[in-house]
Amino acid sequence: MTEISRRLLLAGAAAAPFAGWVRIADAAAPKDTAVFAKQIDDIITLDPGECYELSGIEMCTNIYDRLLRYEAEDLNKLVGGVAESWTVSPDGKTFTFKIRPNLKFQSGAPVTAEDVEFSLQRVVLMDKTSAFLLTQLGWSKTTVKDLVKGSGDTLTLKITADFAPSLVLNLMTSIVASVVEKKVALANETNGDLGNGWLKTHSASSGAFKLLAWKANESVSLEAYPGFRLGAPPLKRVVVRHVPEPASQRLLLEKADADYARDLTPDQIKPLASNPDIKVESFKAANTFYMGLNLGYEPLANPKVRQAMKMLVDYDGMVKSFLAGRFFVQQSFLPLGFFGAIEYVPFKLDVAKAKALLAEAGYKDGFAVKMAAPNVSPWTEISQSVQQTMGQAGIKVSIEPMELKAVISQYRGRGHQIAMLSWGPDYFDPHTNADSFVHNDDNSDTPKTKPIAWRNKWFIPDITKEMLAAAKELDAKKRAEQYAALQKKVTDEGPYIFMFQNNNQIARRTTATGFNPGITEDLNFYRTIRKS
Amino acid sequence: MATAPVPGPVPGSLRAWLLSPAPASRRQARFGRWFRAWLGFRRNPLAMSGLAIVALLVLMAVFAPLIADQQSATLQVLQDRLQPASWQHPFGTDELGRDIFARVVFGSRITLTIVVMVGVIVVPVGLAIGLPAGYFGGVVDTVLMRITDIFLAFPRLVLALAFAAALGPGIENAVIAIALTAWPPYARLARAETLTSRRAEFIQAAELQGASHLRIIATQIVPLCLPSVIIRLTLDMAGIILTAAGLGFLGLGAQPPAPEWGAMVSSGRQVLLDQWWVATIPGLAIFIVSLGFNLLGDGLRDASDARS
Repeated sequence: MTEISRRLLLAGAAAAPFAGWVRIADAAAPKDTAVFAKQIDDIITLDPGECYELSGIEMCTNIYDRLLRYEAEDLNKLVGGVAESWTVSPDGKTFTFKIRPNLKFQSGAPVTAEDVEFSLQRVVLMDKTSAFLLTQLGWSKTTVKDLVKGSGDTLTLKITADFAPSLVLNLMTSIVASVVEKKVALANETNGDLGNGWLKTHSASSGAFKLLAWKANESVSLEAYPGFRLGAPPLKRVVVRHVPEPASQRLLLEKADADYARDLTPDQIKPLASNPDIKVESFKAANTFYMGLNLGYEPLANPKVRQAMKMLVDYDGMVKSFLAGRFFVQQSFLPLGFFGAIEYVPFKLDVAKAKALLAEAGYKDGFAVKMAAPNVSPWTEISQSVQQTMGQAGIKVSIEPMELKAVISQYRGRGHQIAMLSWGPDYFDPHTNADSFVHNDDNSDTPKTKPIAWRNKWFIPDITKEMLAAAKELDAKKRAEQYAALQKKVTDEGPYIFMFQNNNQIARRTTATGFNPGITEDLNFYRTIRKS
Repeated sequence: MATAPVPGPVPGSLRAWLLSPAPASRRQARFGRWFRAWLGFRRNPLAMSGLAIVALLVLMAVFAPLIADQQSATLQVLQDRLQPASWQHPFGTDELGRDIFARVVFGSRITLTIVVMVGVIVVPVGLAIGLPAGYFGGVVDTVLMRITDIFLAFPRLVLALAFAAALGPGIENAVIAIALTAWPPYARLARAETLTSRRAEFIQAAELQGASHLRIIATQIVPLCLPSVIIRLTLDMAGIILTAAGLGFLGLGAQPPAPEWGAMVSSGRQVLLDQWWVATIPGLAIFIVSLGFNLLGDGLRDASDARS
């Protein structure tokens, strides 16, 4: 008997990944609830002062209102969020914001300048991954209390670094400018964490939605806030289910258990075209899909080796086959659609040339290298394709598939040799990507910030200076030229193999309308969704 | 043959020698016993089909390069992805345009490697723990058996998953993880077999003649234990294959691009609805091989069981 039961157990365990289907399939999506099927295993926190992951940013942008915003109604126009109006001093160092009257938090308390002051200060004081967005303005743990001041309906920000005012205002539309209710956050403080522990899984916001629950690797449930600044959202609830399998996402959509499927592959989308209940739409997105090469690993420190590796990726082959429609080739740290972005595609698969370069570099027979890649589609396919093409020149890539979270934390600790990942901009200005991909003037193990250039040990004090100069440039034309030069330099010499920019291909039930994702996660608004 | 000293009909003299009711030597008796077991085994069609499947698996693994092209097992041809079965690709192609037939054929090597390596580790470990426990009894027995109980207390796959995750993905680590979870039943089996023969007269005779414990265990008890251990191992093979496939499915077994069957099923999930063959064919391979080992094991048990 034990023999049989153990065999059953094994069979059951092998089938476990499918169990999710069965359970979810029972729950049909109600009329007043929009259900998303999406990969959300990258979420590690929903505290807007800490959150820095793509799915987390999407949740937070719907939960929290921000100081300034780009709204769903016009994605290109900078408007006030909780701020009604703002002025910039002639020297570009002092920013004064007037907070809207009559705004209320979900708790019922009014939104005051003091809350905004607290929200900005806590980002700097907590000093999490996203804090650099604000500390680059010259704010530090000791000075932020003097430089960020709010009283009554007026908020005053002073910056000490040289930054173009438009860049500063754009920063105030990013996740770190989310407004948290001070009283609630402090009421739930433990050990002086400014409410960080509690806010990971709770919300204290004035945004369009309230966080009902986040169950890691399972779902995020949001409830509409009727008192939202722009009016109550039409739907009562939004549920985002973590569905890692594109095939399961498609099944859920076809069975009407989900209204939106977010991560379908071209193989899933093709057969959906003939289904009259489902519509597939494509929106340009701003995520950069790339590989980071850690210069701490001997062969990768050689510029010729990096040059060769950039020629050992079958960019076109992938985009034309299993990535069709979902990605297009863009080999720059700036996604098209951003200010200053250039269409730059200098590298193509060229094994012969790559081999010659490797021989010149002293690696005629190639070398072995480990690559960390997330263990879900399309990463598994991309990584295997790269493994094959690199193998043709003797570079033996061993793939280490792991959870996205694990790849990210290994990457942040510089523990990788090659890391295959995507990057999404934090706010709508080229500086957001430049400051991560092109900023490393402190290569020690404990720098102030840990941008991507640092993670790959690319020590570039001079290029960093050029990048910072571009951030300060007030003349738009000159600024664009500076960014163009930077992009070419980084793509040609940097420790990155830039591969693709993505299209957001979204399949929806025809009964659900109004979700039109923008170029960044900050612009993925749930409050416009309607269901018939 | 003309000089055969054994009396009896000349045609089929070997058969007669084997079936002789009065064997002249120990060797003849042993071969005779094996031959009778084989005759019993041969009458069992299910067991014979199990043997055939396992034999085919071994042949396929050994002659893989003759059956399929080694390169096409890992060669990606992106234009030809997700093709249905054709003369060029008898089982179609997968999501990266690799020939599934070649992958299944070469995957048999991985499966067989895992099974053999697990067997090679598990049997000696199981015997090393079970034999002293049964032979010496007392404190030795209690300590060794409680350790065995601890390992038995965990669900096998979960424990294997934990080990594989801790050791890092890869075939060797998968083998170690499976072996670490598979040995306890062998230890128990060996202990039970030892207990039944511990007080037998021939053991006492050996002791009186001054044989050391080690000698008694190695020459008297191990041969008694081995048949049941081997049968148990054959029956377990199916479980081992499934565990290995489960680890591969979860990304903890063989690493890409190795054509491990479980990993192939895993990658085929995404296109299961439209291109069913990508996941189904390696799944069938796992199913058939597991079934083959089970049938073979059942047949062996029936054939060897003198008590029934």
